[in-house]
Amino acid sequence: MSGGGDDVPHCRRRAAPGQARCMPATPAVRIEGLTVRYGSTLAVADLDLSIDPGETVALLGANGAGKSSTLNAALGLFRPTAGRIRLLGREPAAAVRSGGVGAMLQHGGLPSETRVGEVLALVRRRYDSPWPVDDLVATAGIDGLLDRRVDALSGGQRQRVLLALALAGAPPLLVLDEPTSAMDVEGRQAFWTTMRALAGRGHTVVFATHHLDEADAVADRVVVIGSGRVLADGSAAAVKSRIGGRTVRFSCPGPRDGLGGLPGVTDVGGDGDLVELTTTDAEATLRALLGSRDALPDLEVRGATLEQAFLHLTAQPTDLSGARR
Amino acid sequence: MTDLLLFQLRRVGRNRQYLFFTIVLPALFTVFFTKIIGGQVAAGEYQDVAGATMISMMAYGAIGAALGATIRIAFDRSSGWLRQLRVLPVPPAATLAVDVVVGALLVLPSLAVVALVGRFANDVQLGPGTWLALVGALEAGSVVFVGLGVAVGLALDAQAAGAAIGILGTVLAALGGLWFPVELFPDGMVGLAHAMPSYWYAQLGRDVAAGTPSAAPVLALACYGVVFAAATLAVAHRRPLHAVAG
Repeated sequence: MSGGGDDVPHCRRRAAPGQARCMPATPAVRIEGLTVRYGSTLAVADLDLSIDPGETVALLGANGAGKSSTLNAALGLFRPTAGRIRLLGREPAAAVRSGGVGAMLQHGGLPSETRVGEVLALVRRRYDSPWPVDDLVATAGIDGLLDRRVDALSGGQRQRVLLALALAGAPPLLVLDEPTSAMDVEGRQAFWTTMRALAGRGHTVVFATHHLDEADAVADRVVVIGSGRVLADGSAAAVKSRIGGRTVRFSCPGPRDGLGGLPGVTDVGGDGDLVELTTTDAEATLRALLGSRDALPDLEVRGATLEQAFLHLTAQPTDLSGARR
Repeated sequence: MTDLLLFQLRRVGRNRQYLFFTIVLPALFTVFFTKIIGGQVAAGEYQDVAGATMISMMAYGAIGAALGATIRIAFDRSSGWLRQLRVLPVPPAATLAVDVVVGALLVLPSLAVVALVGRFANDVQLGPGTWLALVGALEAGSVVFVGLGVAVGLALDAQAAGAAIGILGTVLAALGGLWFPVELFPDGMVGLAHAMPSYWYAQLGRDVAAGTPSAAPVLALACYGVVFAAATLAVAHRRPLHAVAG
């Protein structure tokens, strides 16, 4: 990351004297009662979400959870069935036109028969005070790509060029829909390093992901979405402790009395002889199990999948917001 | 919007296939068809054939240029560029407006090159005012095919759109009497030719060149223009520019 953050209009999270105007009452994103229906499918169900300037928020959810529908509606790409959306206090389309919002879309792309530099120049010209080009190139990680034909880019390079387009106007609000989906592991790491730096410069960053690790590593707030609803909303740590649990499985033909009372266990399930314990503390659960039983045939310990966590959360929507304040 | 306009013009201008089919091919055909058809008529009618062929090829090149420049909208949809533009500070209407202007502007090189070939290779003689009127009339009439191309480009996905450029251009040229004059058509096909906007487009040119303007071509083209514009609006309403392809 090179310097140049001073060129970015932004709001710092910790307001220094004289920056009070940078902590407006207006949320960066305000979604009220958003409902999206495709035919008979309810993609988003009466969803409310408010994001303050300077927050880095992950929308975490499985495929089909309603993340993209929420973000696309927020960006004004379609008219939702119901609900009210404000970005930076304006209608979505007006906020985009004003240059206050940069976005990486899941189905966004680059024009054929062009070079990267031409596209970037075209987009930068659309803004009154675009991000200085040298710093933009360094920040998005597209050094050496400006003369490259767009049609000759790799998947990861393409995503970084799309990031550069999203950043071209130095927008206070960044909306990213699964931005790392076409990237390899190294690319992902570099990308999220960039995101953390942007958040540090005061940009509001909202991104969708189905990787708990990504949400945990980057976001200071995680909103878990499932079946078009907010299932949990809180600090990354709070959400992770709720959905980042483990499952302990083993065969147990006999009675199962007392399993639910073992340390850490939050749920007892399984089919037939198979027992599946969901636990927040796998080690304590195992210790207690081994102490009380002679054998644990077919023992397996694994991280709970996000899908399991979602099923769990769907049963009991939780407001963890207390944990992030 | 001039930056977006220049950007789009550069992209199309870089496409060699496009330049070949809209400029080089019509120019070659102008010479080729004049020799073939002109060789079968009495010597006194040769210049008439040269003039008529030149006008047909101006129409052929212009139609190809208008369709080729606008059906490309389908490619920009499938690449995701149209959707990307929607989250940039670009007025949504400007995207479509720019493509319409690009289509109309790119007709001019076709018209000019074929006219030059007609004048200097085939010795077609028209007064200076008539040359200007001819190019102006065909430029104005090309809006009809820009409209057709936009409607098709919005309606089809990339692969079908690529095929549609070739098929539409060929059908409009062959059936509209641009390659072989309608006078050579069997009786049954003359009616079909008269149902083609390309026939009336070339007829507009022939009328202007002959100095005998008539209402029929203008009315016919106006009708097609209204139909294609309505189709464009209907398709754009059902399938907005930024809708995901597929």
